[in-house]
Amino acid sequence: MASTAPLVVRASPLRRLQKELFGSRLDGLISIALLAALLAAALGFFRWALFQAQWAVLSANSTLFAVGRYPVEQQWRLWLLTTLLALATGLSWGLLRAFPGSGAVRALWPRNDRWAAAILGVLALWRPMALQLTLAIQARWWGIAGLLLLARWAAGRYGPAIPQAFRRLIPLLWPLLYLVGMVLISGGLGLVQVPPSEWGGLLLTVLMATFAILLCFPLGVLLALGRRSELPLLRWGSVIYIEFIRGAPLITLLFLGQNILGFLLPGGLAPDRVWRAAWVLTFFAAAYVAEAVRSGLVAVPAGQLEAARSLGLSVPLALVHVVLPQALRVALPATVGQFISLLQDTTLLSLIGLLDLLGTARTVMANPMFLGKNAEVYLVLAILFWSCCAALGLGSRALETRLNPHSPSAPQA
Amino acid sequence: MISSPALMIEARGVEKWYPNGFHALRGVDLCVHQGEVVVIMGPSGSGKSTFLRTFNAMEDFQKGSIVVDGIEISDDLRRIDAIRREVGMVFQQFNLFPHLTVLDNLTLAPVKVRKRPKAEVERQALELLERVGIAEQAHKFPGQLSGGQQQRVAIARSLCMEPRIMLFDEPTSALDPEMVQEVLAVMQELARDGMTMVVVSHEVRFARKVASRVVLMADGEVVEVAPPQQFFTNPRHERSKQFLSQIS
Repeated sequence: MASTAPLVVRASPLRRLQKELFGSRLDGLISIALLAALLAAALGFFRWALFQAQWAVLSANSTLFAVGRYPVEQQWRLWLLTTLLALATGLSWGLLRAFPGSGAVRALWPRNDRWAAAILGVLALWRPMALQLTLAIQARWWGIAGLLLLARWAAGRYGPAIPQAFRRLIPLLWPLLYLVGMVLISGGLGLVQVPPSEWGGLLLTVLMATFAILLCFPLGVLLALGRRSELPLLRWGSVIYIEFIRGAPLITLLFLGQNILGFLLPGGLAPDRVWRAAWVLTFFAAAYVAEAVRSGLVAVPAGQLEAARSLGLSVPLALVHVVLPQALRVALPATVGQFISLLQDTTLLSLIGLLDLLGTARTVMANPMFLGKNAEVYLVLAILFWSCCAALGLGSRALETRLNPHSPSAPQA
Repeated sequence: MISSPALMIEARGVEKWYPNGFHALRGVDLCVHQGEVVVIMGPSGSGKSTFLRTFNAMEDFQKGSIVVDGIEISDDLRRIDAIRREVGMVFQQFNLFPHLTVLDNLTLAPVKVRKRPKAEVERQALELLERVGIAEQAHKFPGQLSGGQQQRVAIARSLCMEPRIMLFDEPTSALDPEMVQEVLAVMQELARDGMTMVVVSHEVRFARKVASRVVLMADGEVVEVAPPQQFFTNPRHERSKQFLSQIS
């Protein structure tokens, strides 16, 4: 069919850049000054990074940063967990591509995925080398990355052949894996106990963040529903809880949690310091998630609940099948934003004496051998946090498009 | 002697005050028999929608009694759910579930509430969509349909629960003029098949052609109940004449 749209002549990117930066004489001067400043800063940074910085502080302490003082002879459990995680990730990734949401085009290896696989490969090859790990450990990382990509390929290729009844159980793999992971990390069921006080570094940070994220979400949804409940006790309870938590800084709550739980519960029952902090993080984030979900609930027209009720659905059924799916989609960006700040808030654990990533960094920098190497450590820490948060953000945006198949941009069937 | 058709809705002396003290219904009576089509008309604010919504307990009331299909409405939630299973409702704003396909809109309640097998419900849903003339849209989302199509889906969604009574709350008021007919045609066919219907509407032509009786409400009271022919050509009450002169 012949297009009747007017032909738009678009300037080449170079021309547009030229017009934006050097539109007038003043624009040109400002642009040159800014570009020069940027160039100088970049040069200074690279000179430092390549010639002055001493990265030995990281390679010498890589185990400490990764898992803290986790006993060496038990670390195989963490390797096993990492391998299982890689397999589950590859499997889910491949299945997501094999079964795209309705309205999306099915493509086994879209361009973004090829990029992701390439970046993963480069990281698996370069990171262990840059950290000067022993060859045996380097090989383990190659193996894990290879397994992930292999699972990704196999799931995309043979996923559709799995019987549907079985395929529907696959998402349950993740909660199961979480339980398996907890056992592998802390011990029990025949494994030697490793007390939480020996967990540290990235392990502790990721564990705290995932624990709090997983639990604060359902809690937040319940609080949001409670806040809109018609039962006064439930409503006021939720309001008071949410406003109390949102009115207090996290760090005071963390200190409060460390001290008060010991008084409130008899000695044996009070959880370990690490778990106390995990619960405080969870309860803190739940209040903010509740507010995000509430904004989603407000966005669902009252007619939706009415229509569901008029069809004979009970209130819980109407909430689960009609109201919440719509509300959570609206609340998703704000909720993920909350997860991201939760991940960053785990650094506050270092202030109550836990050895999360930042806490580990502080002990390393206090070591006379590595005095004055703060810039190197903090830079790597920042990059590490940034990549985790960026991954969360990308995941949320992908989820948004997947949950929104009837957006105006979706192809009309 | 032929026994008279069963009484489907029996409302006696229904009174409702809104929480702000507004006296919305001032002792309203209405009986609807099986297979009847009752059209309720009246100026806005006359309480006609409020009255309609008491029939499936979407609105509560303070005095009087309503018996729907033999079940008296009370605060008992199980009774209310039982009534809602038998009474379908179509809204002015369609209120389709935007996150579900047309087909899933239809099958949700029968599968989750009546616990019927999904495949069987889907077959029935497709038949219903065929009946309202939009079978080919079954896998689209509501946002991709026109207003008239959405309202027809909403009617099919209610029918999928196999209700014994259908309530329509201004079903064509939110539609563009050219889409009103397609919805009215579906309603007319439904009436011909013997469905008991209570319709709040300003569509005079529909009322003339389809209604068994027309009810005029004003200021929370029933002013006149009459067969359409009589109501539109020779209304007895001054208030009815005034209303008819305003809408024609």
